[in-house]
Amino acid sequence: MDFSITEEQELLLASVRDVMERACPESYMKECNEKGEYPQALVDALTEAGLTTLGVPEEFGGTPVDTQTLMLVAEEITKLGGPHFVFGQALSIADMLEFGNDVQRRQCMDEVLAGRVGFVLGFTEPQAGSDSSAIATTFTRRDGKVYLSGHKTFMSNALRARYMLCLARNADGASDEKKTNAFSMWWMPMDATGVTIEPLKKIGWHMMDTCEVYLDEVEVDEADLVGVEGNGFMQAMINFEVERLLMASSLLGMAECAFGDALDHAATRKQFGKPIGSFQLIQQKITSMAIKIENMRNLVARTAWKIDNGMPVQTDSALAKLYCAQSANEVIDDALQIFGGIGYTTDCRVSRLWVDARVQRIGGGTDEVMIHIAGRQILKEHTK
Amino acid sequence: MTIVVAYKWAANPQDAQVGADGAVDLSRAKPGVSEYDPVAIETGRRLADATGAELVGLSVGGPQVGTSMARKAALSRGLDRLVVVADEALDGARAATTAAVLAAQVREIGDVDLVLTGDGSVDEGAHLVPAVLAGHLGWPLLVDVTAVERAADGGLRVTRSVGAGTQVLEVDGPAVLSVAADAVVPRVPGMKDILGAGKKPVAEATVGQVAVSEPAVVGRKRPALAQRKGRLLTGADTAAVAAELVAALRADGVL
Ligand SMILES: Cc1cc2nc3c(=O)[nH]c(=O)nc-3n(C[C@H](O)[C@H](O)[C@H](O)COP(=O)(O)OP(=O)(O)OC[C@H]3O[C@@H](n4cnc5c(N)ncnc54)[C@H](O)[C@@H]3O)c2cc1C
Repeated sequence: MDFSITEEQELLLASVRDVMERACPESYMKECNEKGEYPQALVDALTEAGLTTLGVPEEFGGTPVDTQTLMLVAEEITKLGGPHFVFGQALSIADMLEFGNDVQRRQCMDEVLAGRVGFVLGFTEPQAGSDSSAIATTFTRRDGKVYLSGHKTFMSNALRARYMLCLARNADGASDEKKTNAFSMWWMPMDATGVTIEPLKKIGWHMMDTCEVYLDEVEVDEADLVGVEGNGFMQAMINFEVERLLMASSLLGMAECAFGDALDHAATRKQFGKPIGSFQLIQQKITSMAIKIENMRNLVARTAWKIDNGMPVQTDSALAKLYCAQSANEVIDDALQIFGGIGYTTDCRVSRLWVDARVQRIGGGTDEVMIHIAGRQILKEHTK
Repeated sequence: MTIVVAYKWAANPQDAQVGADGAVDLSRAKPGVSEYDPVAIETGRRLADATGAELVGLSVGGPQVGTSMARKAALSRGLDRLVVVADEALDGARAATTAAVLAAQVREIGDVDLVLTGDGSVDEGAHLVPAVLAGHLGWPLLVDVTAVERAADGGLRVTRSVGAGTQVLEVDGPAVLSVAADAVVPRVPGMKDILGAGKKPVAEATVGQVAVSEPAVVGRKRPALAQRKGRLLTGADTAAVAAELVAALRADGVL
């Protein structure tokens, strides 16, 4: 078993470190976080170095790499204190590149190549969170046009993105359709008439907006259908597993970031005349943090390896997302504890990681949904 | 036109461990293209792109200089091909030897119009190699170079930083230019550059006959720490304290 990384991966990580050192000092992260600003300068620097299009096929201006490499880069960025969302568009735009028509692909890639967000992922609605079969946004055809109506919520990047990949059901369709054939994907400009955006106030993730989006008879064209009518849900599913793994990898990096800071603090902060790291209760935390980080890394690496070797990872990716979301939160919480009072101030980046990591147990499929997916599958495989 | 960039494969000073006695330990530092050399490579790449020249990387040193990692790291920064002399005899070689071997290789490459070097290596930082190299080649040396471009008559127009200003020179023959550390911001190698690096040609050369009398280092000493005055300016009126600080710095001749 070979745990080493290739020379190319090592050099790529050196480039990532270079970009992060130039464009992502902690002072910049702090400023963006406090002002609620998107870290555009960082995204621009990553884009210039070709990092945002890693994993995108060459024909669309990207550089194809294996899953393992994508995960290493995602980990490195958050390990160095960067926000998770600046990397990994290759995965979220894969749906568009696979199912979009030429115009849609071009529009999506123009956004990504310019350092912007490809699109808003329009799934969640007030009544349709974990249960996306409850999506009630509709499309209806009239006079050769298509009209979208409904209410999307928790729309990340809605204030900045120019398009939404909107999942909607046919208003005129049969009501007994299943999740697998009830929904269609529409490519919708965010500046279209009838779109109203209202930002949500969150406890963390301040660098990226998350909004309510109301659609009132938003007019699109027949040509704005993405892929096959009725296949929307299945089209969106193709990439879920690797996207989950990407979240796991970013969480691993966040845990490592907090861990490194905590180690520095444990080694230098003195109480009772000694560095606090000399107390066994602190060492116990450090040891358990180290074990969790090691487990996270192994889960991510093995799942990525399986993907790269064409093996199914439905269970693995759910386990990785579940474990990394929970463990990263535990590690970051322990780090905050090691910092004591200063850890609870905004001067200490661990406090930012603490609120930012929390949402990852909810978004991209909750912990409970991951258990649901993995639990069912594990039993099924055992009994077959 | 052929442009050679001489670069060093050296320990990264950011990994250095500084002991309690101030001694710097680089034994656990990861090697890399020496910190300022990417600036020379980038300067060379831009000139090569503008003139259609070939950009050849040249590095001499111990066996580690020839490793696949060292080659790819250098080539991913924009060089067209490499010439390396990786020989145990050159492990830890100092300026006179290094420059003599570099000069021999520049002659070997042939028809070289320009040799670029970084401002200084990050380990020893003696700033000697460009001068000794130019001496061996019998070429002029220009240091603190901030820009180089093709002049209208086909020669080179070189901008140097001198004191607080700049000087522009025209050079019509081959020359050695030592590029200032802040001349340009080197590009960050992307995945395409890194993948491409493994496919570029690398020639391995041997040390050959280089007779060099290297001056012997017979002692090393750290500079004594300057005595600090330890003056503290305090007061509620920050503007007044600032004025006092400026006056004190003026009085000491700092400003
Ligand atoms: C900051 C942020 C950004 C987001 N960005 C986007 C985005 O860009 N696009 C998008 O479409 N969505 C986005 N989401 C939405 C996210 O995907 C949902 O929040 C998530 O899927 C959970 O849905 P919900 O919030 O409605 O919770 P619910 O589904 O109502 O769940 C509430 C609780 O019930 C549990 N639960 C639900 N069903 C079951 C079950 N069957 N068994 C056991 N427990 C269950 C859940 O695990 C959870 O603990 C974002 C969310 C946040 C917070």
